[in-house]
Amino acid sequence: MFSRLKFCFLILVISVNLSEQSEQYHEELFIKPLPNGFVNTFFQFTTRWNMASREDLLHTKLTPRPIAEVLYNYDVKELNIALTQGLWRYELWGYPVVDSAPGAEAWAWFNGDNLTESHVSRQWKDLTSTFSGILCASLNNIDEANTVQPKYSFRPRFVAPKNTKSFIKYSTLPRENVCTENLTPWKKLLPCSSEQGFASLLNSGYVHNTNYHSVKVAIRTFQEAKTGELTMELVLSANLVFDPILISSSKDYSIRKIFGQGLNGVCPMSSSSKIYVDITEDKFELVPDSDDVKESTRGASTTKFAIYDMKVISPNDLFNIAFVKKDKQNLVPIIPPPILTAHRYILAKGQEEGKIMTEVTNNHWADLNVVLQENIPWFVPSYMHTLTVKNGNEVLKIKEFHYIPGNDRERPYHLEIAFTVPAKSTVKVYFDFDYIFLKWTEYPPDANHGHYIGSAVVTALLPVAKNYTTIPVEGYLFEHSFNASRPSYFIQIHTESLLLSLPTPDFSMPYNVICLTCTVIALAFGPIHSVTTKILTVDTDGDENKGFIKKVIGKIRDKIKGKKSAPKESVEEKPKSE
Amino acid sequence: MEFSCKFLAIFLAITILTVTRTLGNSNVPQKFVDRIQKSNHTNNWAVLVDASRFWFNYRHVANVLSIYRSVKRLGIPDSQIILMLADDMACNPRNSRPAQVFNNANQHLNVYGDDVEVDYRGYDVTVENFVRLLTGRTVNGTARSKKLLTDAGSNVLIYLTGHGGDGFLKFQDSEEITSQELADAIEQMWEKKRYNELFFMVDTCQAASLYEKFTSPNILAVASSLVGEDSLSHHVDPSIGVYMIDRYTYYALEFLEKVQVNSQKTMGEFLKVCPKRVCISTVGVRKDLFNRDPDKVLITDFFGGVRPTKILSDPIDIEFTPEKTFEEVNINIPLEGAKPSYNFPSQFASELFD
Repeated sequence: MFSRLKFCFLILVISVNLSEQSEQYHEELFIKPLPNGFVNTFFQFTTRWNMASREDLLHTKLTPRPIAEVLYNYDVKELNIALTQGLWRYELWGYPVVDSAPGAEAWAWFNGDNLTESHVSRQWKDLTSTFSGILCASLNNIDEANTVQPKYSFRPRFVAPKNTKSFIKYSTLPRENVCTENLTPWKKLLPCSSEQGFASLLNSGYVHNTNYHSVKVAIRTFQEAKTGELTMELVLSANLVFDPILISSSKDYSIRKIFGQGLNGVCPMSSSSKIYVDITEDKFELVPDSDDVKESTRGASTTKFAIYDMKVISPNDLFNIAFVKKDKQNLVPIIPPPILTAHRYILAKGQEEGKIMTEVTNNHWADLNVVLQENIPWFVPSYMHTLTVKNGNEVLKIKEFHYIPGNDRERPYHLEIAFTVPAKSTVKVYFDFDYIFLKWTEYPPDANHGHYIGSAVVTALLPVAKNYTTIPVEGYLFEHSFNASRPSYFIQIHTESLLLSLPTPDFSMPYNVICLTCTVIALAFGPIHSVTTKILTVDTDGDENKGFIKKVIGKIRDKIKGKKSAPKESVEEKPKSE
Repeated sequence: MEFSCKFLAIFLAITILTVTRTLGNSNVPQKFVDRIQKSNHTNNWAVLVDASRFWFNYRHVANVLSIYRSVKRLGIPDSQIILMLADDMACNPRNSRPAQVFNNANQHLNVYGDDVEVDYRGYDVTVENFVRLLTGRTVNGTARSKKLLTDAGSNVLIYLTGHGGDGFLKFQDSEEITSQELADAIEQMWEKKRYNELFFMVDTCQAASLYEKFTSPNILAVASSLVGEDSLSHHVDPSIGVYMIDRYTYYALEFLEKVQVNSQKTMGEFLKVCPKRVCISTVGVRKDLFNRDPDKVLITDFFGGVRPTKILSDPIDIEFTPEKTFEEVNINIPLEGAKPSYNFPSQFASELFD
């Protein structure tokens, strides 16, 4: 017992020594009233940790232990896992701070000495299995058969020592449900869990009553080539879209109304704890109002933010912000569409062949270069010779064509194409596919529900930053997006995922066949058996051949025997009747 | 010397014989009997399985979550509960009360709770995964939370619910586990010393058929219905249009809600929670494999968590780290700009368009 105590004490001493490394935790909440009356709340919890060496990963403080262990054990340098329910409506809501595909989406960059393709595949499998445990999701279903290696669509956001090859793995599970069991473990990764700070607002009953919700874990590392100094960045974000009318049956809302409770102070571990409210449109009166108003000019568009520094305002008490609509008139807003949008759908007649159609729209006055990534599961055999990129009737030139054909049960179809979308036009990208039968054990238990095809990813550089709130690659806090003017702005959007109803065999057919066959055999067996085993004879023991005396004796005998003889006769009768 | 040794050995043997004979008599001191009746398990685990998919099987999810709620409340940590849910009822689009599952149309008790952790869900709930879980033959790389890491000191609660028949339980309407397969898996658990005692609870139609093939020791089994009988649901909630919960689990939960961590209620009482007049089906119990008398087994031996604690009377000297050290750390860290800015590759493949 005492040795155990000593051991505990030793750990305490070690942790004191290690506390000299710098580790910071920030919590941020960005609230944006959306043009259509909805409200977008974006939570971001950032932990940044500077370490002298990789060994420091074994002594965690603010960073959750499982995350540090993952970075220590695997050669993963950047990892993004998002679990999303619902579809982000770009036309109505603009661009989100962080975009993710419906269902589960995961991608990771691996980089290390002597790393080979097979190592990476093994690590990717282990990594996703580990996170399936950490996030209570079915990420363990990610394997080679649904993983692609994007060449152009995803670029590293980590920094590793030079001269080593990086590997990427990308996969989506569009069928994944997202519910409390994912939110709970996600919240447990935070230093204050959901006890204090912004995470206390994330009550599952309210979070899952939204039009869109997405939780994400993003990890990346920066390593200096010379010193070996390592910086780890862990960003946990939750993106929610509420419909105030559904919640409070009025266009006014407050933090307490949409989350079910007021903000419960700040997390004492946090270095900063700030709320940003987008007040560019100036449609709401904020109660209480903030004195700290910042203007952010980014590529010719200006956004105004009211900033609440919770460390100063109310570090311990409950806090609430009410949004009271200034103009009570019910005006229908005219929403200018974002520059780039994308949609996808299936064109098909019958259950034999179909077309997957992706529409990429450019609403800008200038041409826009885009890269489109399609990730088609192996059970949707696609024919790339039918790939057409058309703007109206004009066939567009494909600048780059990267295609890895799929292989049954082994590899998905992966397509990346680069093309230019002309100004103010919609480009249609389509190709043919076949509906196929699977092996009958490969159908899921609810085969008639259909099979999902993960969303396509469209990447582009936007010339203007209208509706654009993404944090630049070198930044990590929401405030780093303020005044972050750049020549162009990187955007990555996702299309809808598709539901494809493959032809399903009649699963009860074997059962029906067995039942029917057995009935037929049973019916046939009886008569065939009796016909083949019994001899048909004419009953010669009849009365007509006997003499008179014998007849009399026979009758007397019958009378004496009485009932006994009766059944015997009927047995002998039977073959006759047939 | 040799002679005296032999004499001593014979004398000892005779003494032992007489002692054992007296112990063998019926008037054994009560404390020895009690010691045998007391559980000697060191940890508790629970495997809770809902094997049915589809919205109309809402009641099976409510069943399994009722037991989950109880074992969690009574102290089994989430890391030692393996919860398998074949379908998502809480966030199902048909559920008008998102992230909530109730056991009663009155909506008093949200059995889904606010911090549920589901280990196997959706398509992962298969017979293969269930048997792999029990026997400890999980696929390489399986997450720790998806493994049953029990040992010879573990008391394990296995709860199954779904649609069953004589000798089988259906998984997701597409495959089934037979009672023989189940008995084999549990026999393997015993051989591998993966449990100390096992409480097997099943709420399906013809549930008793599932424990009939068991041969392994230390198993107490209870089933909601006998062979040839249906298990019935309790009531329907018209607002969502499905049955809420099955009768047996409804009354089991009602009983468990009254149990506290330090409760002296026994398994014997628990086995009688659903008499035929309320359950309509006959609750089947199998005690022949179980060494102890259920009336003397605490319900917390299976539904509660063991927390090994040792009470020390001596004062312990712990040196606290001065607060100052932490404050300094916070001051030392510059908010931004101290780190050299890194060079990132272009996020967009602009080179393709040159």
